[in-house]
Amino acid sequence: MFELVIFFFFAAVAVIGALTVVLHPNQVVGAISLVLSFFALAVMYVLLGAPFMAALQVIIYAGAIMVLFLFVIMLLNVERDEIVVSRPVQRFLGYTAGSAFGLTVSYYLLKAAVIEAPEGSIFLSDARSVGMRLFEAYIFPFEMVSILLLAAIVGALLLTQRDVRRDATGGGETV
Amino acid sequence: MNGIDEIPASWFLILSAILFSIGVIGVLTRKNGITIFMSIEIMINAVNLTFITYAREWASTHGLIFVFFIMAIAAAEAAIGLAIFIALFRHRETIDVDEANLMHW
Repeated sequence: MFELVIFFFFAAVAVIGALTVVLHPNQVVGAISLVLSFFALAVMYVLLGAPFMAALQVIIYAGAIMVLFLFVIMLLNVERDEIVVSRPVQRFLGYTAGSAFGLTVSYYLLKAAVIEAPEGSIFLSDARSVGMRLFEAYIFPFEMVSILLLAAIVGALLLTQRDVRRDATGGGETV
Repeated sequence: MNGIDEIPASWFLILSAILFSIGVIGVLTRKNGITIFMSIEIMINAVNLTFITYAREWASTHGLIFVFFIMAIAAAEAAIGLAIFIALFRHRETIDVDEANLMHW
């Protein structure tokens, strides 16, 4: 019973946070409510019996990625706050298509999702079993991801560096 | 099986579907680049929730490994995407995605 209350409360928090991201015109409010939604999803992971994944969710998403988002929002100074409103037909089509998609997926999940737990197996989700699996069966993708992250660092540096030629002529702007 | 058995797995799947469609609506209706990006993050998290739900239901660690990789790739994607928006803002003074039409046919 207690778990049901926890589930519905944090499910509501997650959905409301996500809706605020989509509907609120101010993107700083959106970023903060997205952090709230991610915390609620971490609670969902704990309810699912995977507290290690909940810790990763809080550290990586709420701690690292959203701080990056907030820094970029701050850098791009939205104080001019050009609220760009999309066309009504685009909004109508977007809401209709998104809702229809969600309803269809929910219907087929309830109707046809295969949920049959194999008998006798234990769900191991602690850091030790995940790490053993990661470094035994998935060692090659793990190394590929490390190379991908290195490439992302170099790419981000290249994309955001100032234009050297314009700086030499004195016309470059600093951001 | 450990974990909380009272809550059926389909509820988690429904929650995931709701979050994913909210992300779809955000991508389709907003024009602010950062907001579109945050909607994509919502969709990624909905998929993560689905993975962990099925990992619990099938008592398998593979789903958790997938979530691990998805998180790493989302971090790389966030870094690159935000760098692209900074570069776009530097050239166009806006992050409205409709203004980024240089490669529009």
